[in-house]
Amino acid sequence: MDPTKKTLQPYVTGSSVLAIKYNEGIIVAADTLGSYGSLARFTDLQRMSKVTNHTLIGGSGDISDLQQIQKTVESLILENTGFKKDEEPLTPKEIQQYISRVMYNRRSRFDPLWNHIIVAGYQNNESFLGAVDIFGTFYEDNTIASGFGAYFAQPLLRKGYKEDLTKDEAIDLIKTCLKVLFYRDARTINKFQIAEVSEGGITISDPFELETHWEIADWQEGHL
Amino acid sequence: MSGIGTGYDVTPTTYSPEGRIFQVEYAARSVENSSTAIGIRVSDGVIFGVEKKIISKMLVKGSNRRVGSVGDHIGASIAGLTADGRRIIKQANSEAKSYKDLTSEAIPLNVLVDRISSFVQMHTLYASIRPFGCAVMFGSYNEKDGAQLFLVEPSGVSFGYYGCAIGKAKQSAKTEIEKLNLSELTCREAIKQVAKIIYTIHDESKDKEMELEMSWICKESGGKHELVPDDLIAEAEQFAKDNTVSTNILNFDNI
Amino acid sequence: METVELYNSQEQIVLDDLSEPVKTGTTIMAVQYKGGIVIGADSRTTSGALIVNRVTDKLTPVADKIFSLRSGSAADTQEIAAIVRYYLNILSTEQGKPPTVKMAANLFRQFCYVYKNYLLASIICAGYDETDGPSIYSIPLGGAIIKQPYAIGGSGSTYLYGYCDANFKEDMTKEECVSFVTNAVGLAIARDGSSGGIIRYAIIDSDGVERHTIYGDQVKNYFK
Repeated sequence: MDPTKKTLQPYVTGSSVLAIKYNEGIIVAADTLGSYGSLARFTDLQRMSKVTNHTLIGGSGDISDLQQIQKTVESLILENTGFKKDEEPLTPKEIQQYISRVMYNRRSRFDPLWNHIIVAGYQNNESFLGAVDIFGTFYEDNTIASGFGAYFAQPLLRKGYKEDLTKDEAIDLIKTCLKVLFYRDARTINKFQIAEVSEGGITISDPFELETHWEIADWQEGHL
Repeated sequence: MSGIGTGYDVTPTTYSPEGRIFQVEYAARSVENSSTAIGIRVSDGVIFGVEKKIISKMLVKGSNRRVGSVGDHIGASIAGLTADGRRIIKQANSEAKSYKDLTSEAIPLNVLVDRISSFVQMHTLYASIRPFGCAVMFGSYNEKDGAQLFLVEPSGVSFGYYGCAIGKAKQSAKTEIEKLNLSELTCREAIKQVAKIIYTIHDESKDKEMELEMSWICKESGGKHELVPDDLIAEAEQFAKDNTVSTNILNFDNI
Repeated sequence: METVELYNSQEQIVLDDLSEPVKTGTTIMAVQYKGGIVIGADSRTTSGALIVNRVTDKLTPVADKIFSLRSGSAADTQEIAAIVRYYLNILSTEQGKPPTVKMAANLFRQFCYVYKNYLLASIICAGYDETDGPSIYSIPLGGAIIKQPYAIGGSGSTYLYGYCDANFKEDMTKEECVSFVTNAVGLAIARDGSSGGIIRYAIIDSDGVERHTIYGDQVKNYFK
């Protein structure tokens, strides 16, 4: 008998998610593409979602697994209602831990959830920015980038990060990174969304396009 | 209760010769003994008000809840044995979860009430289990269906209502609710009326101290079930205290 | 061709084809217009290169005004559609009103996601309901669920991305929408060996379902 195959390739995938803390919260960004192999199949797909009033999750990798994680977390939060409605909801850190246990459990069954999940939250006057990878490894940082972003955006984010970064500075920095990713990641399109997680709650922008530059083409002309 | 001593009242599995099931009637009796809870359905939502007895001075304020949530889009309020009511709301939450996991949509209130009725009714069929000693009101509000209010009784029957009252003073509470113009009232206005009714039926001379517990699910709360904010409750309580004339209506209740 | 020499006769090729799984190579699409949707599909079912059914009906109803458009393994998708139809029947009886498209699509998602390792099923779920009006959901391989203003699927759809990107408009009239769908399916039939036969299409709106067929000899020929 053939051995059972469990670890399949992902089908519909999303590319990088970027996030950076600023002085009053967190900025998270991603493009809106759901790739199907190299086919840019779904061009209007939101990869970040609000799971509580304080917590946002975003994800790279397999979209069906990402949707399943979103559903699981939403279901977990609803389960905690009953007579406890006015109690504190789950904190961003608790949500990150829950996701990490689910993902570690799946990797231990050799059937991982094919994602890199970013958890951003603002609760009790504190920013939280963390992530969970495909194996269930969890970590926190001031800047996080998944997928190709780990190579192209993370160094730029780290260089640009400072304790008292303002919101506008953070958005500018993130936009620079998104542009670099659009230039260098073949699974990215020029249609992005930026989410803001702060005291005032969570807002996710409408999709927008970034201005790109191609003047270097003139220099290339005639060369191999 | 002519069942006592006849032998027809020891399990719900046996009818009396008149066709009654005494165990179920006794279960309903334990709701009648409970302090009162009311629910009213107004133009833009549903409000629950509970007369909660303070059973100990050491109890933390706000504890011992008798309003609960099912998911975030349905509210519930109980009278009777609180523990039994909690079990029903737990069941309701589990039904809501399984419905949502399957369809990705919030369970419609009529579907939930049907399932809970059937669950409660099931507990009237076996000698090995005791019927639920509580009644539960369920309420919801959304743009499409408007406000809805249902009551599930220990026998497993359920009906939709404009207003309902359960517990010791249900009769006088109903009389008070009937005086209200429910289709015109808004939730904000109704808070005061609900508080007034609870204060009217509460017999200070006979009953223990009480705490007014109120929750709502309405346009203002965004279709979510929430406890009424403290400042609104305080305002409503003041209004109730100023406008409550007699507290003696209760004495005619259980005749 | 070299490969032919491996076979003793033409008959052997057909026999080998018969041992291939039966697939609906397929072109399927669903498009929203003002007030309703138009769904369309080719009618070819193949086992390898053998056409086992040239007049297949790939527009499979799962409720009065909700259809599933099937692509992938014929056996898998027929079974899933049957299960979803069964669930929707129970749910709508319980609710006392017709199910929503969202509900149907999420049932498809549930089965396609949970059993992804065992299925070859890519489904478009489309229809009309009183709550959301016309709606269309894609459930590609892997079991993601994506709501779209229009959806295309099956092997033939790869030839249609350009045509659809260029010609789809929101709020088309019913007539514009019908010709958009029939043109597209016709184009795919012309270029995709696994799509062919007749074009089946249907118009679904608040009034109900109106079904049509365009016979193979009436399908517009785009190349000479």
